[in-house]
Amino acid sequence: MGNKQTIFTDEQLDAYQDCTFFTRKEILRLHGRYHELAPNLVPMDYTNDPDVKLPLQLIINMPELKENPFRNRIVESFSEDGQGNLSFNDFVDMFSVLSEMAPRELKAIYAFKIYDFNTDNFICKEDLEKTLNKLTREELTAEEVNLVCDKVIEEADLDGDGKLAFADFENMISRAPDFLSTFHIRI
Amino acid sequence: MTTVSEPVAISRPVRSSRRYKSVRKNSRRIYSPYQDQQPSNSDDDDKIEERIESSDPEEMFQNIQIQKEIIANIRTRPWPMRHKLKALKQAREIVLKYEGRLTRTRGYQAAGADLLKKLSRLVYNIVVLFIPWEMRIKKIESHFGSGVASYFIFLRWLFGINIVLTIMTGAFVILPELLAGAPFGTTRSKTIPKEHLASAQDLDTIWSLGGYLQYSVLFYGYYGRVRKIGSAGYRLPLAYFLVGMTVYAYSFIILLRKMAKNSRLSLASASDENYTFCWRVFCAWDYLIGNPEAAESKAAAIVNNIREAILEEQEKKKDKSLAVMISLRILANILVLLSLAGSIYIIYFVVDRSQKLEQEKPELTLWEKNEVSVVVSLITMIAPSAFELVAQLEMYHPRTTLRFQLARVLVLYLGNLYSLIIALLDKVNSMSSTEVSVGSSNWSDSTAFLATIALPEEENLSTIVPEITERRNSTLSLGLVENTPRTIIPVALNKTASYEYNMKSQQDQCWETYVGQEMLKLSIIDMIFTVASILLIDFFRGLFVRYLSDCWCWDLESRFPEYGEFKIAENVLHLIYNQGMIWMGAFFSPCLPAFNVLKLIGLMYLRSWAVLTCNVPHQQVFRASRSNNFYLAMLLFMLFLCMLPTIFAIVRYRPSQTCGPFSGQEKIYDIISETIATDFPLWFSKVMNYVTSPVVVLPALLLLFMLIYYLQSIARSLKFTNNQLRMQLQTERTEDKKKVFQMAAARMQSQEGSDKKPEQESDLTSQESSIRSSSPRRNGSVANFESPVSRGNSIRTIAQSASRTDVNRAATTSQSPSIPILQKQRKEQIPNRHPGFLHGGASGSCKSKSYHHVAYNPSSRYTENVHSDPLFRKSIRPMHPEALGGGGGGGGAQGFSSRRSHTTRYVIVNEHEARKKLLRSSTRIPRHYRVDEPGGIVELYPRHIKRYSIQTPQRSRQPHLSEEEEEEEEVKKVRRGSFIQTHRPRSLSDLHQPARFYIGEKVESHHSLVKDLMKSCYGFYEDGCEVEWEDAASRPRSRTNVRAADPLEQHPEPPVKPKLKHKADPCLTESDSASIASSSDQQNSSTDQYIQVIHSKEKYLKPTGKLAKKKSKANIDFNVSGSNELICSNV
Repeated sequence: MGNKQTIFTDEQLDAYQDCTFFTRKEILRLHGRYHELAPNLVPMDYTNDPDVKLPLQLIINMPELKENPFRNRIVESFSEDGQGNLSFNDFVDMFSVLSEMAPRELKAIYAFKIYDFNTDNFICKEDLEKTLNKLTREELTAEEVNLVCDKVIEEADLDGDGKLAFADFENMISRAPDFLSTFHIRI
Repeated sequence: MTTVSEPVAISRPVRSSRRYKSVRKNSRRIYSPYQDQQPSNSDDDDKIEERIESSDPEEMFQNIQIQKEIIANIRTRPWPMRHKLKALKQAREIVLKYEGRLTRTRGYQAAGADLLKKLSRLVYNIVVLFIPWEMRIKKIESHFGSGVASYFIFLRWLFGINIVLTIMTGAFVILPELLAGAPFGTTRSKTIPKEHLASAQDLDTIWSLGGYLQYSVLFYGYYGRVRKIGSAGYRLPLAYFLVGMTVYAYSFIILLRKMAKNSRLSLASASDENYTFCWRVFCAWDYLIGNPEAAESKAAAIVNNIREAILEEQEKKKDKSLAVMISLRILANILVLLSLAGSIYIIYFVVDRSQKLEQEKPELTLWEKNEVSVVVSLITMIAPSAFELVAQLEMYHPRTTLRFQLARVLVLYLGNLYSLIIALLDKVNSMSSTEVSVGSSNWSDSTAFLATIALPEEENLSTIVPEITERRNSTLSLGLVENTPRTIIPVALNKTASYEYNMKSQQDQCWETYVGQEMLKLSIIDMIFTVASILLIDFFRGLFVRYLSDCWCWDLESRFPEYGEFKIAENVLHLIYNQGMIWMGAFFSPCLPAFNVLKLIGLMYLRSWAVLTCNVPHQQVFRASRSNNFYLAMLLFMLFLCMLPTIFAIVRYRPSQTCGPFSGQEKIYDIISETIATDFPLWFSKVMNYVTSPVVVLPALLLLFMLIYYLQSIARSLKFTNNQLRMQLQTERTEDKKKVFQMAAARMQSQEGSDKKPEQESDLTSQESSIRSSSPRRNGSVANFESPVSRGNSIRTIAQSASRTDVNRAATTSQSPSIPILQKQRKEQIPNRHPGFLHGGASGSCKSKSYHHVAYNPSSRYTENVHSDPLFRKSIRPMHPEALGGGGGGGGAQGFSSRRSHTTRYVIVNEHEARKKLLRSSTRIPRHYRVDEPGGIVELYPRHIKRYSIQTPQRSRQPHLSEEEEEEEEVKKVRRGSFIQTHRPRSLSDLHQPARFYIGEKVESHHSLVKDLMKSCYGFYEDGCEVEWEDAASRPRSRTNVRAADPLEQHPEPPVKPKLKHKADPCLTESDSASIASSSDQQNSSTDQYIQVIHSKEKYLKPTGKLAKKKSKANIDFNVSGSNELICSNV
């Protein structure tokens, strides 16, 4: 709007605003952040939808993600190719879902994706172990991890198939008091 | 209509194939309900195109509605951004195209909403900035876990409350008094008596809050009794009283609100559901953390937390010998009770002793002055540790131990406060009783000062009560005699002379100030002890352990002294106790909240420093999360109990006569009635009189009680429903899962060819849709469809458990017609068709029976359905197409009306597992629809019960099959509106119709996950309409005009009907020839009724449906009246 240099057309901005939980300004700022990551790759002019993707390594070095134990999974879950290469669209999408305005259902969907390390659409024990190890920086002993995984499955697995399907996960997460407050990134 | 239907018919193969594809795509979704967005999005595009095709205004409107909804909700959909953008663009285009006029308002709305959003976010950001100590608490939280942090959060919350209380008292009481009240030294209540002036600045006087402090805004006694102060006429006494009450009211409200909020939060995590581990794993990481140190400590906290959970888990499994434990527990409780009683006795004793000391000794030592507070503080410090020792005997689960500990400490604190206040009030009692007698004497004299002149020698008036009263009585009369003459002569002289004498006795009698002093003193001493204990117990111990452990004979860090642990329970309770003191004393010492604010700030820093430097995390920190109402409940309890003595004092005792804003009044609360009487209009005081009379108050109380009872019962029932729903959800889920597996198994078994596969997949899809529909939030947007669809859905979802069988029954009845379709198609492949009609009828009935067997398994067990499939296929085999065709042909006349009802009824079927059969049949249809198989619609016309008789027409119809061309022409004519005579029968089209419909419906409903129920309904309507068109197109093929002359008026407009539903029907018929219109009208209305019946009386329907089906087998002669009869019987 007020920018001398048009990064987006008004239409694009409107569309982004409708599709995300961001304001115009925030979208522009996001673009700025995206541009910062690879100034020579990302053009300033996005009016004609350039097909630029940034690799995972660049994204996870953002301060917002750097300390997150699940940073790789986050980026991968939001990339369209599943490899972690984010286009600007995916980038905006990621922060939109992780913004504090996003509803619980939406967050739950992506949280499930993030915790599903092997992308088999179930959170199985293997995924849980990985989650735990990342979470605790492998400070728990193997028995403890095992015990916790078993307990988690025991608690949340409603159908008794030994792994958590999305329904189980959603059911569990929808009752978690702090899920909404913790599953968000302020950018 | 014809023009529209033609192209549709042509394009049908393409679309059906596309749908077929999307069905397959959608079927994947059951395995990955959250991943399906790409395919669904492309389907979206398809659908959008389809919608554009239609130009019907009604549909357009709905279309726009849907697009708008897409636009509004697109951000909440888990699609990749690219697809979102695309979908959004399309939706926008459509809306723009069809809806020019609303754009401006929409623009304003959007702008307004944006502005609002921005504002709220801005405000939120600012508010967040002002939340104090956030980082400090976060740091502590990451080191010590949520338990310790909850103490600090609680502290901060109390701090907030005290800030508000301070502002209230400061702005409305203290500041006006300072600014506009009489300055220090002008009145006697604001002047330090001469004999005290010398020591007024001594440290020990100040320390015991005497001297200058006593005669300051800190205490009640300083406030003037002038009704209006300053130029603005500020009513200080009134304000004082109101603020005092508001302090309590505000505390109550804020507490209750917080509790309600917390319980709302914790509602989501119902207590019987235990996801401790899950939450600790999946919700543990705070995604906001962006600082390596914080991340590290967070990881440490998570480890801590998980270990905690493991420990707790293991704790559950421990078991010990019962007898020992019980005896130990009894012993422990006895010990605790003893110590409680002891502490109460000590406090009472100390207060009593201090009173005596005051009476006996003119000069008290520092210790004697502060004895009470010190003893109370000591007890509050030591006793909890003793309780903790005792609690170790009990060997409860740590969480229970914590609870017990808290309860005991709370009782101890309360006991302390109560024994203190009771002792104080005892003293007050003696004070005010002397006060009263003085007052009465004054009253006779009508001047306060003169009376006190008469009592110069009674310096120790306040102390030696019994003697005084006697002595005074004698002197009083003396004084009276002496003084009366003098009052006539200038009083002023008198006054100055007696001034000094009065002073002490007057001001000592200011019991409110005394109580305030005691409370403030207690608070101060408590603060000192807290600081001392933090320093001694935590800091120096920490230092000692840290630096001497090297040169000590045992390991200090792990054996005896160790490092101090942060005991959440005691500390929280200490805060509560502290707040209780504030509430107790706030009325008599307006500055107490302000003092408390300072105290809390200091405590916050000191505590957090101590925790971070010299405490170790409690080995068994238990989660007392923010949503825990336990602390708050205790605080509320404390507030109530602390309010009682104050209220009691206000109500019971007479305010001091010479000091404070209420001096000269009989009771403190008289200020209210006085103000109402003097400063409000007359009518108001009258109204107040009425309102406060028992006539009003008692009913109001009664009403309140009733309300409470009512709300409570509602809450109870809601809880009950909640539980049930949860259980149901759980069983639903498991059942659905089972069904899926069973289906897969059935699929393995009955592999009847390659064409089976799509069926199965579609089954899965249907299954999945039912799964999805079982999640309640999907239903949210159904609202604006008053169609049977939504009703059917609501029936299903709401009454799932209770009336599930019923609903299923209804579903199966309605669904029955479609089943035959499947069989019919099968039969086509049987090369030779037997003309034996009767035979066919028989087999038909048998088939229907077998179907019933399937359909009426209300348990909706998937297995049963699946297994019964082959069986019923078998039974079909012998059937003869001719017979069926005959039936269908015969049914032609009825066809339309009945068909219509069927279409609507299918909708009900929608979400039921029974539907899979329909789907199955439907998937086949594309292959068959070209075949001019007239058979089998018999079952489509369940309504014609009594028409077994004439079977000839059916046969006669057979030849017509070859006459397609002719009929096509005829049909065209009909469509054009020249109502020549129509071939109602179109059995094939009927056949196709439901079949197509199902394909369509399925595709639509599965177009995308995000599409919720409403949308699928909409999709259904569209498809229903398409289907109808296709019917029209295919009609010629299967045609016989035998009965054609009949009620075919509606025929020309088939597409419209389903869309407009029943209401639209009558108008349609009106456009037809009049004579027929009436009959068709009846028909329409009858179908309406029938539909109604389906929804409202499922049970009832079941038998009729069965009946109808059987009879319809042989139906030939179709009359409008026939259907009506049936309907009558239904209703």
